[in-house]
Amino acid sequence: MTTRRQYLIKQKEMGRHLLGVFPAYYPKEILWAMNIVPAEIWDPPMEITAANTHLQTYICSVVKLGLELVLQGKCDILDGFLFPHTCDSIQNMASVIFDYIKPDKPCYFFYHPKAPYGQAGRDFYQRHLKDLAESLERQFGPLNIEALKQAVDMGRRISRLFQDIYDLRAKGELDASNMEFYQVVRKGEYLFPDDLIPELEEFLAQKKASTRRPGTPVILSGVLPNPHEILGLLDDLGVRVAHDDLLIGSRRLLIPPSNLEDPFEQLTDSYFAMAPCSTRGSSIVERREHLFRLINATAAKGVIFNVVKFCEPEWFDIPNLQNELKGKGIPSLVLDTEVNQGLSGQMKTRVEAFVEMLA
Amino acid sequence: MKDLGSPALLWLRQKQKKRRPRKPNPHLGPPLKSTRRLREIMTRHYYLARFAERAKPVAWVTSGAPVEILRTFDFYTFYPENHGALCGAQRMGPDLCAHAENKGYHPDLCSYARIDLGHAFSGKTPAGRLPRPDLLFCSNNICQTVLYWYKALSHYWKIPIITFDTPYNFREIRDSDIEYMTRQFEEMIPKLEEISGRKFSYSRFQEIVGYSLEAASVWGQILATMKNRPAPMTIFDAFVHMAPIVSLRGLPVTLDYYRLLKKELEDRVEQGIGGIANEQKRLMWDNIAVWFKLRDWSMLFAERGLNFVAATYTYAWAETIHYLDKGSPFESMARAYSLVILNNNLEHRLKMMGQMVKEYGIDGLVILSIRSCKPYSVGQYDLKRLLTERLGVKSLIIEADMTDFRTYSEEQVRTRLEAFFEELEG
Repeated sequence: MTTRRQYLIKQKEMGRHLLGVFPAYYPKEILWAMNIVPAEIWDPPMEITAANTHLQTYICSVVKLGLELVLQGKCDILDGFLFPHTCDSIQNMASVIFDYIKPDKPCYFFYHPKAPYGQAGRDFYQRHLKDLAESLERQFGPLNIEALKQAVDMGRRISRLFQDIYDLRAKGELDASNMEFYQVVRKGEYLFPDDLIPELEEFLAQKKASTRRPGTPVILSGVLPNPHEILGLLDDLGVRVAHDDLLIGSRRLLIPPSNLEDPFEQLTDSYFAMAPCSTRGSSIVERREHLFRLINATAAKGVIFNVVKFCEPEWFDIPNLQNELKGKGIPSLVLDTEVNQGLSGQMKTRVEAFVEMLA
Repeated sequence: MKDLGSPALLWLRQKQKKRRPRKPNPHLGPPLKSTRRLREIMTRHYYLARFAERAKPVAWVTSGAPVEILRTFDFYTFYPENHGALCGAQRMGPDLCAHAENKGYHPDLCSYARIDLGHAFSGKTPAGRLPRPDLLFCSNNICQTVLYWYKALSHYWKIPIITFDTPYNFREIRDSDIEYMTRQFEEMIPKLEEISGRKFSYSRFQEIVGYSLEAASVWGQILATMKNRPAPMTIFDAFVHMAPIVSLRGLPVTLDYYRLLKKELEDRVEQGIGGIANEQKRLMWDNIAVWFKLRDWSMLFAERGLNFVAATYTYAWAETIHYLDKGSPFESMARAYSLVILNNNLEHRLKMMGQMVKEYGIDGLVILSIRSCKPYSVGQYDLKRLLTERLGVKSLIIEADMTDFRTYSEEQVRTRLEAFFEELEG
C-alpha cells in the first residue's frame, strides 16, 4: 500500500506542486486547477516535542502536530503552506510559523466568513477566492478558467461519490467496517481527483452489500476520528457508524450541487451550502436540526461526540447539543480525546457501557 | 437615563458613607483622586442596569465590538467581559465557573465565558442584578471564542445575535476586507432598527464616533504619561481606569472622565509624584490582567521598586482608534476595529512591543500565559525569545488565568517571580 508521503513524492515527480494545507475549509478546486496537490495536515503520526517550545500545554493536539511537522523538517517536499482561518489556535499558529519561524516556503492564508451570513459575506468569499487564486498564480503560474471549470466538475463528482457512499452506509448497505470507511474517506485529504475518483468508485462497487450490514447504528460527531482505536473499538462492539458529523467527514464532503455557471460562483455556493459547523459559527439550532436529520435518516440509536481536548469551537456547542438530544430521548456520549494518544482503559469502559445501554 | 441619575447618586453616597478609609501603603504613591469619580461612574452604570430593562433596548456586547453603532439606537450596553473582570476581582470566578461546568461547559473553556454562562444559569453577580439583553452584539476581532460563547447565550435566552466579522489581518488589511466590514454595518442597521424600535440617524452616529475618537485619544495620552520617570500611576491603576473606555465608549461621560484623569496625571508628573514611592525599574505587562491578584501584585512589585508602566492590554483601546473619522464613520470604524492587536498578526505585535520597550524605557517584561485567551497567548514563547534576543530585555512567563484561580499555583508563581526579581536586580 502506498503511504501518503510516497504518494506525494510520486506526484511531485510527475510535475505537480504540493501545498501543505492546515484545517479545515479551503477551495481545493482552485488548487487542483493549478496542478497543485493539497496535502492536508491534521494528525501526522509523530510525537510532539519541538512544538512544545512554541505552544503552551493548553493548545490542542491538531495544532501542535501541525507545527511539529513543520519544525521536524518533514515538509521538505512541499512547495508552500495554506492556512485557512479555522480557530484562534490555528490562526496564531499560522502567524507563529509565518512571522517567527519563517519557513523557506511561501505561506498563503484564507479567511472565510463566519455565520450568520449576509450577502456581504457571500460577496466577500467570492472576492477572496479570486484573491487566493491571484496570489497562488504568482508562484504556480496562471489559473486557466477552463481548468477551474473542470476542477469544479471533478469536485462535484467527488461529492456525489461521497454522498453515494454515505447513503449506502446510512442504509446499512455498505459492507465496510468503520475503520475501512474512514481509511477511504481520509484519502480525500491528499489524493488528486484523477486518483481519488477511481478509488471511491472502486470502493463503492466492492463494498455495496446485497444484505444489510448488522450493527447498532450511531452518529459520530467531532473534528476527526482520532484516536483511530475508537473506530476499532466500535467495530469490535458491533457498532456501525451510520453517519457522521465530523469536520473531516460529512461537514466538508457532502456538498449539494450548485446550478450556477461561473466556477467562482459555484465554489461560493458550495461553501454556504455545507453542513453546519462549529468552526464556521453555525448556530446551535442549525447544528441540532442537522443532527436530528442524520439520526432520522439512519435510525441511529445514539450520538458519540469524539472531541479533541482544548478544541474550543466544538466544546462550546456540546452542552446544548447534548441537552437537545436528551430532550428527544437520544443518548449521547462525550469523549475528551488527545489525537494519536490511543484510548485509555477508562475511555474504553465508558464506550462499552454506552454501547451496552444502546443495545 | 437622566431621570435615574439622582437616585443612583443618592444610593452611591449612602454606600460611600459606609466605607472606611484604607491605611496608605508606604510603597505606593498617593492614591489617584479621580478614582472616586470613576467609582461613581461605574457604579452608576451598573446601577442603571437594574432599570434599563423595558426602559431601553439592552445589548450585551463584546469588549472589542464597534459599540458606536448601538449607541446610535440608544441601547443600554453591558459588557460581560467587564463583568467577568469584576467577578474575578471579587474572587467569584470559580463559583460562577462551576455553575457553567455543572451544565456541561468544559473547565478548559474561557473563564469569562464560563462566568457569564454561570451567571445566566444561577443569577449570581456581585453587581446585584444584570439586565436581560434584547440583543447580543459580538465581534471576533478579539477572539473566535466570543462567537461560540454568544451563540450559547443566544440559544439559552432565545435572543438574536448580530456578529461583526473581522477578517484576521495575516499580512496587510485589504480593500476587500474593509468593504466586507462596511457592508456588514449596512446590513445590521435594519435589524437594529427593528430590535430597538428606533430609526438610524447618520448625524447622531457621527457624533458618537467623534466621542469615541476623542475619549480613546485622551486614553492614549493618559497611558503616555507613564513614559515619564517616575510614572504617575501603575499599570494596576490603568487596569482599573480602563473600565470606561471598554464599557462606556462613545458616551460623553467617558471623555469628561478621561480629561479629569489626564489633568491629575499631568499634575503628578509636574510634581514628580509616582504611582509607586520609589520607582527603580520599569516593567511591561503582556495579556489580560489577572484580576484576583491585582492588589497582591501591585504591593509585591511596588515593595521592590518595580513599576509596571506599560501593557499591551490597556494600549489595545488606544492603538488603532485614531483611524476613526467622523467624515467616513463606517469605513474608518472597520479599519479601527479590525486592526486591534488581537486581530493583527504576530509580527505586528512584536514590533509594537519592541517600540513600547524603547518608548517607555522598559527593563523587564512580564508575560501572562492565560489559558482562557488563546489569541493573546499563542505565540508568547516566541515573542519572549525574540524580544530578549533583539532588545536584551529581561522577561518572565507566568501561567495564570484572569479569573479562575483554581488553576493558579501561588507557590510556583512566587518562585518564578523571586528568580525574576533577582535577575532584574543583578
